[in-house]
Amino acid sequence: MNVYVNSYVVVFVFLCLGILLPIVALTAGRFLRPHAPNAAKQTTYESGLDPFHDSRVQFNVRYYIFALLFVIFDVETVFLYPWAVAFEKLGAFALIEMLIFVVMLLIGLVYAWKKKVLKWM
Amino acid sequence: MDFETLLSYEWGVMMPEFIILGVAVALSLIDLFMPENRSRRLLGLFAFVGVAVSFVSLLGLWTSDVTSILGDTFRLDSFAKSFKALLLIGSALVLLLALHYEPKERIAYRGEFYYLFLTALLGAMMMTSSGDLITLFIGLELLSLSSYILVAIRKKHTLANEAALKYVITGSIATAITLFGMSYIFGFTGSTNIKEIAGQLASTYDENHQYILSLAFLLTFVGLSFKLAAAPFHMWAPDVYQGATTPVVSFLSVVSKTAGFVIVLRVIVSVFAQTPSGSSASMLMTLAPYIAFLAGATMIIGNTIALRQRNVKRMLAYSSVAHAGYVLVALASLSMFMFEAIWFYLLAYLFMTIGAFAILQVVSQHHDDEDVSIFAGLYRRSPLMAIAMTIFLLSLAGIPGTAGFIGKMNIFLGAFVVEPAHYVLASIMVVTTVVSYVYYFGIFVQMFFRPVEHTHRLEWPPGVIAVVVICVIGTVLLGVFPNIAYDFLAPFEHFSDFLQ
Repeated sequence: MNVYVNSYVVVFVFLCLGILLPIVALTAGRFLRPHAPNAAKQTTYESGLDPFHDSRVQFNVRYYIFALLFVIFDVETVFLYPWAVAFEKLGAFALIEMLIFVVMLLIGLVYAWKKKVLKWM
Repeated sequence: MDFETLLSYEWGVMMPEFIILGVAVALSLIDLFMPENRSRRLLGLFAFVGVAVSFVSLLGLWTSDVTSILGDTFRLDSFAKSFKALLLIGSALVLLLALHYEPKERIAYRGEFYYLFLTALLGAMMMTSSGDLITLFIGLELLSLSSYILVAIRKKHTLANEAALKYVITGSIATAITLFGMSYIFGFTGSTNIKEIAGQLASTYDENHQYILSLAFLLTFVGLSFKLAAAPFHMWAPDVYQGATTPVVSFLSVVSKTAGFVIVLRVIVSVFAQTPSGSSASMLMTLAPYIAFLAGATMIIGNTIALRQRNVKRMLAYSSVAHAGYVLVALASLSMFMFEAIWFYLLAYLFMTIGAFAILQVVSQHHDDEDVSIFAGLYRRSPLMAIAMTIFLLSLAGIPGTAGFIGKMNIFLGAFVVEPAHYVLASIMVVTTVVSYVYYFGIFVQMFFRPVEHTHRLEWPPGVIAVVVICVIGTVLLGVFPNIAYDFLAPFEHFSDFLQ
C-alpha cells in the first residue's frame, strides 16, 4: 500500500515542478532582460521570412480528404508489418484474415477513386 | 491458429451474417460502376432479396444446438436466433418502404443508403450473437457509424445536418461512457469473454468490490441507454427523428432500438445476473431499482412530452421513448419470462411502428409537411389506409385485440410475478398508457372528424401497400392469437441456454 501511495507522491512532485518551472523561468527572465521593444521585434516569427497577409485563411477541404486517405493506408501498413514479420508463426489463418482486410481497404480505395477523391480539381 | 482448427469451425452458423456482408460489398461495388443517372431501385430490390435470403438461412438454423465458434466470440444460441429474426423482419419491411421513398429534393446517395443500411443491420446481427465484449463493441460501432451517415443522407437538408451532428456527438459520448464501464469489467476479470467474466465474478465475492462493480454497471448501462433513447438520455431522439428521412426513422426506432436491447441483455444480464451480492441473490437484483427508476422516468417523460407535439415524427419519437420505458419495466422486474416478454413486445412494436411510419411516409410526402393536420380527412380520401392507421395507433396505445395489448399485458404481469412485486412501476405503466391515448387519439380526430382540406388523391405505391398489409396482419393476428409467436420460441425452452 505504501509503495502504491508513494508512487503517486512522485507524480505529484513532478506536477508541481512542471507548473513551477515556466513560472520561475518567465519571472526571472522578466527581471533580467532589458525592456526595449521595436516594430521589427514585435512581428510574428516565421523562420526569418517577412510575414504576409492574415494567418487565418481557408484551406481547401481536399487536404483533409487526402490526409484521411493517407492515414487509412498508413495504418494498413502498420498492421501489415508485424504480420509479415511473424508470418511463419501465424500461418494460413492470418493470411486469409489479412487478405480480407486488404480487400476491404481496396474496396475503400476503389470508392475513393470512383468518387473522384484522388483528382485535384 | 492453424488451418485444421479453422476448417473445424461450423462456419454455417454465420451464414445469415455472411449473406448480408456479401450483399453489402457487392452493392457498394455495383453502385460505383453503375452509370450516374440510372435508377437505384434495382439495388434496393437486391438488398431486399439479400435480407430475405438471410432470413431463410436463419430459419434453417432455427433448431440447431448452441454453437460457438472463433473461440467463443460468436455464439448462436436461442437468444441470438430469436432476436436476429426480429432484426431481419424489421429491416426487410423498412427496405420495402425505402424503395418508394421519393422526396421533393432528389437524394443523390441512394446506393449508399442501401449498403449502409445493410452494414448497420450486420452490426446489429453481430451483437445478437457475440460472446465477447470486443465483438459486441465492434457490432455496436458498426451499427452506430452507419446510422449516423444514414441520418445525414439528405446532404443539402438543414434539419438533417443538424440531426446528424447531434446524433454523432451524443452517440460518441455515449459510446465513450459505455467503453469506460466495460473497461472496469475488464479490469476486474482480466477477460473480455462474457462467459469467462460471468464465471470469474460468480466465483469471487468481496465486499470492497461491490461499489466499483456497481459503478461499472451504471456506466455501461447509462451509455447503452442512449441507444435505447431512455429518458433522461433521450434528448437526441426527437431532433434526429425529425431530421432523418422516414425509412431511416423507422429503422432507428425499430431495428436500432431492438439492437440496443440486445446489447443491454447480453452485457447486463449475462455479466451481472450470477454475480453474488451482499443484500440479495445477485448483483443484478440489487441494481434493479436503478433500471426501474429509469423505466419510470422514461415512461413519464416520453408520454407527457408527446402530448405537446404537433409534428407527427416528433410525436412518434417521444412515443418510441415511452415504448422503450415499457420494455425497461420487463428488464427491471427480472421475471422468469423476461426474455419472452421483451421479444414479444419488440415484435409487436416492430409491426405497429413500421406500419404507422409507412402511412406517415406517403401522407407526409404528398403534403411535404409533417404537421398532424396532414391527416385531416384521411378517412374520406383513402378509407382503408385510415383504418390500417387506426389499427396501428390502437396497438401503440395498447387496446385489447391488438399485439400491443398482449405485449403490455405480458410485461405488466411480469412485474407482479416477482417477489417483491413492482406495484409502483406497474401503476406508472397503466397511468402513462392512459395518458398516451390522448396523443394517439388526436390523430383519429384528424382522420375521421376533420373536414377534407386537400382533395388530391393519394398515391399508394405497391411496396408501401405490402408493408401496411403485412403490419396489419401481424398486429391483429398477434393480438388475437399470441401463441403463434410463442410457438416460434417453443424450441428454445425459455432461453435456458443464454447463460450456459
